[in-house]
Amino acid sequence: MTARNADTSGLLERLLPSIVIAVFILGWELLVRWRGIAPIFLPSPSSIAEYLMRMIVDGSLGLNLGATLVRIFVGFGLAAVAGVTLGILMGMSRIVARVANPWIAALYPLPKVALIPLLVIWLGTGEAYKIVISAVTAFFPIVISSYAGIRQADRGLIKAAKDLGANRRQVQLKVVIPAAIPSIFAGLHLGMGVTIILVVAAEMIGGAGHLGMGNLLITAGQVMETEKVFASLVVLAVVGAVVIKSQQWIDRKVAPWMTVRDEY
Amino acid sequence: MDVIVEDVTKVWPGRHDDDVIALDKFSYRFASGRFSCLLGPSGCGKSTLVQIVGGLERATSGTVRIVDTQQAGTPRPLGADSVMVWQNLNLFPWRSVINNVAFGLEMQGVPKGQRHHRAKALIASVGLRGFEHHLPGQLSGGMRQRVALARALILERPILLMDEPFGALDAQTKIVMQEELLRIFDETRKTILFVTHAIEEAILLGDEVIVMTARPGRIKEIIKVDLPRPRSLEMVNSKAFGELFDRAFHLIREEVMRSMAQQARALEEQQ
Repeated sequence: MTARNADTSGLLERLLPSIVIAVFILGWELLVRWRGIAPIFLPSPSSIAEYLMRMIVDGSLGLNLGATLVRIFVGFGLAAVAGVTLGILMGMSRIVARVANPWIAALYPLPKVALIPLLVIWLGTGEAYKIVISAVTAFFPIVISSYAGIRQADRGLIKAAKDLGANRRQVQLKVVIPAAIPSIFAGLHLGMGVTIILVVAAEMIGGAGHLGMGNLLITAGQVMETEKVFASLVVLAVVGAVVIKSQQWIDRKVAPWMTVRDEY
Repeated sequence: MDVIVEDVTKVWPGRHDDDVIALDKFSYRFASGRFSCLLGPSGCGKSTLVQIVGGLERATSGTVRIVDTQQAGTPRPLGADSVMVWQNLNLFPWRSVINNVAFGLEMQGVPKGQRHHRAKALIASVGLRGFEHHLPGQLSGGMRQRVALARALILERPILLMDEPFGALDAQTKIVMQEELLRIFDETRKTILFVTHAIEEAILLGDEVIVMTARPGRIKEIIKVDLPRPRSLEMVNSKAFGELFDRAFHLIREEVMRSMAQQARALEEQQ
């Protein structure tokens, strides 16, 4: 193959995902127009875009999305601080691990949405309930990954550090915790994923008069504003992708060695 | 500093009652300023021995004493005078070259400016100038080996413990690293305990080759290497080298055969 051919095929490969998306949207548009499908079942991409624009202009999207994002970050933040702290403590102290383990074993597999009725009784349907349900759900993958990361720290590195004169505290701080970072980050990724899911789910139960993407979705659905439902889904998908991508970006900034360690 | 090993036995507890005796009443005096190579089949406890000397593993029985020959034989705590270079290097992957090399000084509380200054000098001396801020994962195997060497040398400990440090390197890189180590030995005259399973390497580097038996590890024979220093790779072709090689080869061959027979028996028993 000539160099020029290689260039064009490389370019094609990079453009292909965008092309597939464009073809999909165009096909969808054509299908809806050609078959005359009622917008209540399947609105066309162009009308979804129109609704989206309207939601942006009248400010309703900003308000609802803002409320959802605040809940996601507060819930995730609480879960991250509590989960990483407890995970590290468990990894460093056998007593803490012994005490915490049965609780985690019992509560982790419990579907957290099953807690919704109880939380609504205790906390009502306001902010506290939405944040608590998402934080509780995100807490478990974070604490489990952090604990595993600390426990799986490379014995060889610990021995080497001791040999070079590190005391117990220095070994923990300078070797065990940094060695656990990839695992802790993996836990934070999982935690962020479930936080987004749980916040939106919790908002759906919140009832009318509350802000949030979940609420927007459910009210639009109830009055069969299918365009609005689709517009909200598009927004959620894009926001989710942006959040996950920025997490990956932060990983690379904070721990660049994670990406180079497997080069050899 | 002399390393005096007396009757050191190491037993690794097995899962049932199949305890493994890695070392059996090993006794030897590693003399100050001498380059001693421990040569033996895999599993003969040679790595365990250097880790016990370095204070990183505990002997099941027996004692290791580090004695300062200049100070009327005062015993010193294990690990205080030695530093280890590991087969798998054990570099900290999240630390840059300079921070890996300066690790030991950092643990002692040496201020950053001072420890970086010394680390830089050492990095330059092992030929890695310009790579101070690279991560270990960005370096080749030989370069990483140099980082590990510099990280050990910065502590200026009189005893260097090396556990098959060049075992994972390709043939060419290994030669360069061996020459590097010979140069360092000639300059510093440290006491070196060097574990290897490569006969040629043991003879090229060492003042003596301690041939060990298959498990349990004991001393089979000690070969004095009287090749002159500074050593160079050309000596490999000399008649004296060839004779030493043949002697070591026949000794080690017996032990490797025994070790293989042991492993075969252990497998049969499992089935």
